[in-house]
Amino acid sequence: MLHEAEEKEEETVKGTKEAILEVIERPGDNRTEGGREGIGTRALENKMELIGLGLSYGDRKVLEDINMPIPARSITAVIGPSGCGKSSLLRCLNRMNELVDGARVEGKVLLDGEDVYANGFDVVGLRRRVGMVFQKPNPFPKSIYENVAYGPRLYGVKQRKVLDRIVEESLRRAALWDEVKDKLGSSALSLSGGQQQRLCIARVLAVQPEVILLDEPCSALDPISTQRIEDLLHELKELYTIVIVTHNMQQAARVSDFTGFITIDEQGSPGRLVEFGETREVFTNPKEKKTEDYITGRFG
Amino acid sequence: MKPHLKREEKAGPPAPVAAGPADPLRGQKETVVRWVLRLCALVSVLGLFLMVIFLFRESLPAWREAGAANIFSSEWSPDKGKYGILIFLVGTMAVSTGSLIIGAPLALGTAVYLHAYAKPSWKRFIGRGLEVLAGVPSIILGWLGFTTLVPLVRRFAGGTGMGILPASIVLAVMILPTIATIARDSLEAVPKAFAEASLSMGATRWQTLRRVTIPAAWPGILAAVILGLGRALGETMAVAMVIGPATAFPKNLITPTHTLTTKIMLEMGESTGVHRSSLFAMALILLALSMFLIWLVRRLSAKTIKGTSGGAFYC
Amino acid sequence: MRGYSRTIAKPEINTSEAGLKNGNGWRGLLEKKAARAAARARWAERVASFIFRTSAAVSLVVLAFIIGTILARGLGTALDPSFLFGKPQALKEGGGIGPMLFSSLYLTLLTSVIVVPLGVGAALYLAEFSREGRLVRLIRWGTESLSSISSVIFGIFGMVFFVIYLRFGYSLLAGALTLTLMNLPTVMRVTEESVRAVPGSYREASLSLGASRWETTKKVVLPAALPGITTGVVLTMGRIMGESAALVYTVGIFVRKIPLSPLQPAAPMAANIWHIYTEGALIPDWMRVASGEAAALLVLVLFFNLAAGALAGIIRKKMGIMN
Repeated sequence: MLHEAEEKEEETVKGTKEAILEVIERPGDNRTEGGREGIGTRALENKMELIGLGLSYGDRKVLEDINMPIPARSITAVIGPSGCGKSSLLRCLNRMNELVDGARVEGKVLLDGEDVYANGFDVVGLRRRVGMVFQKPNPFPKSIYENVAYGPRLYGVKQRKVLDRIVEESLRRAALWDEVKDKLGSSALSLSGGQQQRLCIARVLAVQPEVILLDEPCSALDPISTQRIEDLLHELKELYTIVIVTHNMQQAARVSDFTGFITIDEQGSPGRLVEFGETREVFTNPKEKKTEDYITGRFG
Repeated sequence: MKPHLKREEKAGPPAPVAAGPADPLRGQKETVVRWVLRLCALVSVLGLFLMVIFLFRESLPAWREAGAANIFSSEWSPDKGKYGILIFLVGTMAVSTGSLIIGAPLALGTAVYLHAYAKPSWKRFIGRGLEVLAGVPSIILGWLGFTTLVPLVRRFAGGTGMGILPASIVLAVMILPTIATIARDSLEAVPKAFAEASLSMGATRWQTLRRVTIPAAWPGILAAVILGLGRALGETMAVAMVIGPATAFPKNLITPTHTLTTKIMLEMGESTGVHRSSLFAMALILLALSMFLIWLVRRLSAKTIKGTSGGAFYC
Repeated sequence: MRGYSRTIAKPEINTSEAGLKNGNGWRGLLEKKAARAAARARWAERVASFIFRTSAAVSLVVLAFIIGTILARGLGTALDPSFLFGKPQALKEGGGIGPMLFSSLYLTLLTSVIVVPLGVGAALYLAEFSREGRLVRLIRWGTESLSSISSVIFGIFGMVFFVIYLRFGYSLLAGALTLTLMNLPTVMRVTEESVRAVPGSYREASLSLGASRWETTKKVVLPAALPGITTGVVLTMGRIMGESAALVYTVGIFVRKIPLSPLQPAAPMAANIWHIYTEGALIPDWMRVASGEAAALLVLVLFFNLAAGALAGIIRKKMGIMN
């Protein structure tokens, strides 16, 4: 098929084939700046930061004045009642909101200190650095291999050997390799829902993002699959900055290091950030009455 | 039926829904209605069979007296007993191919624009425009071709200005809405989640289309083109007014020639005997061609259904 | 299965500073390539966007050209009552298209009266009263095949079957029956689509109240599907109005007097334009007559086309809660 043709194609990027392969053998340099602290003693450094973020669809304001940090290499959960705009918030982080007609963003979203909404900011680069996993597993109707190779191919990786390594390593990191290594050529749609979602995570990992956004990634999954994904997130946070939106407070409490609580005052008013802090603090000792009401189930 | 009656029925024993006829004739009425509706539905099948039977019956003399070898030859001169239809077959193929070459890219481009690039207001406006274009009668397109396109071709290319080129252009306009609408529908039927995933990885709209959406919609797009081809094969008036006509193989794109449909239309009124019968033979061949295309489209749509539910179809 | 069989040990996660600084990690590789790929992709996007936008623009221009030219050349003539309602002339100037206009409307009405009940009934059978089986497959196959057949074939079939075999002669009825067969698939399709779009809960509510299938269909399903059916029917009427190839040998292409009986020959406008094209030389001002007739026909067809959408809206509004 098409790969044979591509295999023949010479690698055009600097360096020989061997050098590239060697690099792929040790793909560990995922941690960019701030890596020197080492795992375990992570500094509270903000990978991203929302400053006065507002969002409106046409005349309708969805989010207003959100100020919130996203600490590097940890899991930040965004919780709140349905319809509070938490998914929209997530989509502001990699500018996916631009695909909605009439969407308008105010304020700033900083990634490593740079405003991603600044004029001339490279959106393609942004989306490579900030990957996204959706609510419903949405693998492409292609083979498992092609799903994971999609991103690297998009960025011009054509050499089969390099792709093979990337696919394997991504699937390993997504804890899916052992289940699919013998059927990489079969359709991704033949996998179970939980496997599909992990494949979507592998697809994102394949482009080595710095931040991974997850939009209620487990809402369509059974408890066992959910458990596997949560375990996976725990492993991944050593290497990536993770933001997860969830309406499941137990999940937020289980997996996240930091939690932001967003809510709306009434139907139709914009969502606001009520509280942000370390998850343990937010759940055991909330500063705001609204947070406490929500967490204890008195509201929402 | 009064409301309180309904309530009484519902309050009765837990009989199966709608199975307790209060009116003894009700069940019979239901059967009669079912039969009447079934007969309505069978009209289309009956009509198709009648068409095939009568076309075949009328074409019998041609098959019997002239023979298939004569019919599938290239010489047409009924007064000498030659009934070769190859000229018209070639003409039909040429104008259909020509119309696809001109019309399909335009239509597919429009479909992709409507699916991925247009703002909602333009989407509505151009979508509506395509509906209107589909409704423009073929005789009007033919007339317009005859009064504007033919003189234009004559001025720039000489000759009569009639032939395969103007016919292809007119046909391209006719099949444009057919292809564009169906192709757009099949693009829209691809789950948005695929495109979203692709865009979220930094793909551009075109990359997303090329790598995800278009491959997923491919059977539908192909079906759209085939249906367009079907329309081009069968079109009569618009072609007849700009193709010449002349019973001769086309020397180039602007010499008058004939297609199956134009030949049938122009000679049916003034022919008798085997000559007339051979026109019916042409109709039968055309009918077989279009039914073959419909069969192709059905195969493709079956594939689409299989493809979306899994399987290696898209790889 | 792809040729992927190599298994390699899970690589160690390399956290060394050196690997980072060299920028030659997996991410480094992607970053390096992505810059070039992105530039290429931006280019391709620009070109693709241009091509698609241009295609759409060309389509629009073509439509505008067609409507503009036809109306510019003929609307003046068409709006003249002495042309629109006048008597046609064969060898003199100044003929009108009165009988042709009447024929078109008559034929459209006659065809609709036959094809709509038939098509709606057939669609109701397919959507509400049948189960997928051999019979339904046969009907669908027949309908699809019918919809693919060229109109000139319908025309010559109508000629041998209705005109000659059933001895209707060249007549509105023969034409109407031919057009019925031709438009049956469209009416069936739009009706079935609208009927299937009615939520199942409507039916369940009615059936659970003890109504029979037919009562449910009549009182619940059909009213809810009416806007969609109306749109489809009016669009089909526009199509009937514009049909010519199927009518040349079933209805006729030229008459002097207004046809009153459905068994009389007639000359719908579309077919009459064909007459003028082929016998043009007989009419001194054929260009004027054909242009005027084309414009009148186009206006009528456009009217039906635009009315289709508007009517559905009106019905929806009248029924209020139904939709």
